[in-house]
Amino acid sequence: MIRLYLAELLKLRTLRGTWGFVIVALGLAALFTAGGIGGASEQARLEPQYQFRLVLDIAFPTGILSLLLGIVLFTNEFRHGTIARTLLAAPRRWRLVVTKLLAGATTGTALEFVAFATTLAIVVIWLGALDVPLERGDLADGAGRALVGVILAGVLGAALGGAVHSQVGALVGALVWMFVVEPLCWVLLGLLDWDGAGDYLPAASLGGIIDSQDEGLPFAGSVGMTFAWIALLTVLALVRTGRRDIT
Amino acid sequence: MIEVDGLTKRYGSTVAVQDLSFTVSAGRVTGFLGPNGAGKSTTMRVILGLVHPTSGTTSVLGSPYRELRQPEKRVGALLETFDAHPGRSGRSHLRVLALAGGIPRSRVEEVLALVELTGAGRRRVKGYSLGMRQRLGLAAALLGDPEVLVLDEPANGLDPQGIRWLRDFLRSLAAEGRTILVSSHVLAEVAQTVDDLVIIHRGKLVQQAAMAEVEAMAAKATTVRSPDAPRLATLLVAEGVDATVVADDRLSVHSPTERVGEVAAAHGIVLHELTAERASLEEVFLELTGEPGERGG
Repeated sequence: MIRLYLAELLKLRTLRGTWGFVIVALGLAALFTAGGIGGASEQARLEPQYQFRLVLDIAFPTGILSLLLGIVLFTNEFRHGTIARTLLAAPRRWRLVVTKLLAGATTGTALEFVAFATTLAIVVIWLGALDVPLERGDLADGAGRALVGVILAGVLGAALGGAVHSQVGALVGALVWMFVVEPLCWVLLGLLDWDGAGDYLPAASLGGIIDSQDEGLPFAGSVGMTFAWIALLTVLALVRTGRRDIT
Repeated sequence: MIEVDGLTKRYGSTVAVQDLSFTVSAGRVTGFLGPNGAGKSTTMRVILGLVHPTSGTTSVLGSPYRELRQPEKRVGALLETFDAHPGRSGRSHLRVLALAGGIPRSRVEEVLALVELTGAGRRRVKGYSLGMRQRLGLAAALLGDPEVLVLDEPANGLDPQGIRWLRDFLRSLAAEGRTILVSSHVLAEVAQTVDDLVIIHRGKLVQQAAMAEVEAMAAKATTVRSPDAPRLATLLVAEGVDATVVADDRLSVHSPTERVGEVAAAHGIVLHELTAERASLEEVFLELTGEPGERGG
């Protein structure tokens, strides 16, 4: 299992696309941080939890990237026909699914590390130049919460990829779900006076982890609900990948 | 050893393989032949655990492939479809496989050298020619120095030198006691390589035999040209051989050339020609599979 996991990481490291995700994560973190500092008033920069929110806001684009990379790392096998060779080394398919989930968690960690390092560098230099004191506790709390969210996004993406197999289908489906279907569900649930139910949907659950406003489920509830969605998709991934004939 | 027992695979209403049974012995190269669509690739993929059988069983080295420990060290496989990511270099592709299979990294350079891809190892696979891709696939199959090789159409895309190298290489591997199953849809392509043949058609077993037996099937009449043809015909018939005079100086004899030569020599008959007529192996193959009009390449 460890060998398979290390091989998954080597697969990712040896593809340019992976580094593209890292560069985009770095760029978005820089952009969001610069916007968060440059767009805030002098007063706002001194508000409690300003730096906490700054770090968590960057987790939103990083989380989406982590989700998409998680999808790609599984569906690449089917898109490029490498699944046959992979299964020759891992004929017990549940091992492949577990390995992919671990790889999704690892890529999430790496993306959040890059994003947070970028944010921290900008925060230290820019806020230092503005004589705004660094709130180490806020930064650490934000980074920890962002890390959990981005890791779970990567795992969720890998599980979704394992359940769907089609790369285009999974990528488009995930984005359409997040930005079209789930918001529509929110509207419908609101019309039915079931507003709270929307907090349990996948994107809302994941978003609840990195939501600095704490509007939906509490942090622990969001983590638990995200785990539930991951568990559901993992079961689908195990069934789908396990039963599929690799022709 | 590879064993296939009562294997049936259906895709919906389409029967790809039907009640197929055969054995591939260690120390021999076994050709797995059949026209395109006969079920060869499906059978190989079932053997390798990639396709679920509808019924029947397959085993490699005594176990289903999925139950083998560190299968890449025991079974090497080349599939007909290319299975490397186009954006990865050939060397990286093999390093990934080595890492996943628990194979020492040094082996990557060995197999790259073996298939003469060392110089192209850093290039991304999408820039490889068909022949280079095939050689990379062979390198992947040989990576674990396996006891069993399952090769689906390994000569595809190889140039004549490459085919000759492959032939000699497979023979040398078999001489080391390894089990080798090689599929092809062209009998002539594997005739010089294989010891045994498994021929299938429309998913069913047509023939499992030693190559020598199939070659014997190819033997036809012996043509004899002699100025004393009628007398030779009489002598051969007297010896119980089926001989027919087809021209003043020509006989058609259903007997090995050695027998005809011995009779002629014993009676001092001059021979101007003694030729064993043979059907081509391809003709035998087409006859066995029964659809001469459908074959290509």
